[in-house]
Amino acid sequence: MTSDSMPAAEAPVRTASRIDRARLLGLLERFALPLLLVLVIVVFSTLPATSSTFTSPENIRNVLGDQAVLGVLAIASILPLVVGHFDLSVGAQASITQIAVAAAMSRYGIPMVPAVLIGIAMGAAIGLVNGVLVAKVRVNALITTLGVATVIAGLISLYTKGTTIVSGISHDLINLGQGEWLGIPRTTFFLAAVALLVAYVLGATVYGRRLRLVGSNPAAAQLVGLRLDRLVLSTFVFTGALAGVAGALLVARNGNANPASGNEYTLLAVAAAFLGATSIRPGQFNVLGTLVAIFFLAFSVNGLNLAGVEPWINDVFNGTALVVAVGLSAVFARQRQRGA
Amino acid sequence: MSELRVEGVAKAFAEVPALSGVSFHARPGRVHCLLGGNGSGKSTLVKVLAGVHRADAGTVSVGAAAVEAAAIDPDWSRTRGLWFVHQDLAVFPMLSVAENLAAGRDYVTAAGGRIRWRRFNDRAREILERFHLDVDPRLPLAALRPAQRTMVAVARALHASEAATGTLVLDEPTSALPHDEARFLMDAIRRCAADGHGIVFVTHRLDEVAQVADDVTVLRDGRVVASGPATLDRAELAELIVGGGAAAEPARPTATGARGPAILELRGPVELTLHAGEVVGLAGRLGSGRSRVLRGIFGAGPRAGEVRVGGQPIPPGDVAAAIAAGVAFVPEDRDGEGLFGALGVRENLSAVDVSRFRASWGLDQRREGAAATQTMRSFLVRAVSERQPIMTLSGGNRQKVLLARWLRGAARVLLLDEPTQGVDVGARAEIHRLIRDAVAEGAGAIVVSSDHEELEHLCDRVLVLADGRVVAELGPGDVDAVRISHLTLDAAPAAAGARI
Repeated sequence: MTSDSMPAAEAPVRTASRIDRARLLGLLERFALPLLLVLVIVVFSTLPATSSTFTSPENIRNVLGDQAVLGVLAIASILPLVVGHFDLSVGAQASITQIAVAAAMSRYGIPMVPAVLIGIAMGAAIGLVNGVLVAKVRVNALITTLGVATVIAGLISLYTKGTTIVSGISHDLINLGQGEWLGIPRTTFFLAAVALLVAYVLGATVYGRRLRLVGSNPAAAQLVGLRLDRLVLSTFVFTGALAGVAGALLVARNGNANPASGNEYTLLAVAAAFLGATSIRPGQFNVLGTLVAIFFLAFSVNGLNLAGVEPWINDVFNGTALVVAVGLSAVFARQRQRGA
Repeated sequence: MSELRVEGVAKAFAEVPALSGVSFHARPGRVHCLLGGNGSGKSTLVKVLAGVHRADAGTVSVGAAAVEAAAIDPDWSRTRGLWFVHQDLAVFPMLSVAENLAAGRDYVTAAGGRIRWRRFNDRAREILERFHLDVDPRLPLAALRPAQRTMVAVARALHASEAATGTLVLDEPTSALPHDEARFLMDAIRRCAADGHGIVFVTHRLDEVAQVADDVTVLRDGRVVASGPATLDRAELAELIVGGGAAAEPARPTATGARGPAILELRGPVELTLHAGEVVGLAGRLGSGRSRVLRGIFGAGPRAGEVRVGGQPIPPGDVAAAIAAGVAFVPEDRDGEGLFGALGVRENLSAVDVSRFRASWGLDQRREGAAATQTMRSFLVRAVSERQPIMTLSGGNRQKVLLARWLRGAARVLLLDEPTQGVDVGARAEIHRLIRDAVAEGAGAIVVSSDHEELEHLCDRVLVLADGRVVAELGPGDVDAVRISHLTLDAAPAAAGARI
């Protein structure tokens, strides 16, 4: 009894078509989100209702400039996500560091650069608290960062009594937030710098590789001698410092420090990080994918607003986009497993 | 009761064919062993039958019901009486043993859907008894040892298949089991065949073929190289599996007089001095403390006693210090504790020594990639490239990656826990050769294995452990698989009886 009944003639043909299909699915998965971004831009650029306003330089500049704070926070939240932990305090950290930066200038007359550094240091310190609780005390990161975010909200209202800091903010900082270089909002350059920094750290350093190892398999990482606690702790500190940058950008963009602003960014940031993980390098949190996700959401919402839809659409759109994207990536992943 | 007929099944992943025109028939009441090396297509074939992978060509029939192999889905398999125990077991670690046994079936419920836990657990207890598993059905499965988890998965499929007659497909169910415990499983399988079920038994252990097989199909490179009644002896089977007679393992070098200086001293409940150029085996039943000794030395677990490497004490619980002193550890749970599943071969190889590739501007990935390619060549890792995702490699090649990770560096003390578990004969011989080469170059190795022939092949000395203590030692010239087996069984505390 041997294998004599072999439909060999049929096999190669089918194999080839299946390979093409698998490869196509893979490409589709990687570039679905960038394609959607392009699609959104094309649609709103040609739609009669929006074509004139959507493509105007002012509009594009506004969208770009407005996304800097969210972009920095989303990229910041990637770092703990890479090692498997959520940081749900990035918005609160941006919120309190903007107060710190503004108060340093307005109440204590500290110049811009040291004031911004104070904000960054404060973010790093909060990150240290998060990191110690998660990595050393081993409290669940969701609980830790939600708790820390709540404490921060309380401290903000204690310090500000709910009033916005408007006076005494360095004009240099406000110019950074509202001016342009080469026709591009200055905040966008800061977003680009943060993106490059994190992409470099994750993709091209030994430290970044170690984070990927820990994220892929903590047990194995321990057995190759990696100090899990230190690595995890460091990501929270890194994130905190970047949230400090976001806080400074928030002051720069708004020209003031409103205790109510900042918090709303947390969920959007984490959502963008997750959306980003469905593209470019599917299954891995990555900087480029996150940026694409942010601008996809931003241009979509912007176009819809210009088309005159009611404002409640924004939230519905953001939420739907997230669920659909994550759902699609799950479908693609299943297809890959079965068919590839 | 009907025959399972597989005809001309083909399947390719990316450009690489995994199965080409595979056919075999599994008859009711007989145990059909499916043999083959790593990457021979055994697991792929099983996954095609289960509807996990979609075949490119071929047909599968159960009795009169025939279907295109590409159209199989899990429901089709289930309704035709095909039952599976996959290599990765598909168990639920956080749920109780009883819940695992009932997974996909019915709970015993009272009015309102309330689960009647006592009755439910009693029923589980009966099943466990039938399979000689002395565990509390209320324990979470994660609390069980790997061998016990395998038994639970097998018990689930076997008792499920009693409801309807059919064909039970077991994909390497014994790869995590020590030999003596695998025997219980063999008994259960024979009973099952005697009841009229067809059994497809995928294995790489040739001794098991002799024990249970009525029929044998041997796969190599995705093709059937032999199929028929089990009449071939071990050597012939090994020859077929590997092809070209590469299976013959060189005998252990007998010259054991010239061993080098002591490189590792272990003091405490287990006293052990490891010399350069020496392989020391640790035998013992599960729970005898074999793995604990290794983990303790490495700092990956609690340690009783003191460890010195090259005369220098190693603090307990400090893996980094042990690694710096030249200690390497390959854990038993290859995928769970050894490999970084989301990453490629290259990243897995450089997990220990990635800082070697640090350049002034960051990580020199070109140099890292070149080193990985070089390592793959020296350590016989077969993969398309150093960028291939690690989990797409066969088990044997994954294990070689794990070994190579340490052996390409400065590791002098090798702690190897079941280094060839779940690995076919060809890869096993290669892994043994890699270990011997490293030892010949001045390293020393401590090998934990429940495969006593492996210990005989590999070790200069063997210590037999029970309850965390050494109960026997076989010196150079005395290392013999049968003696190790006897000592291991004798060493088991009488009270433990047949429990695992």
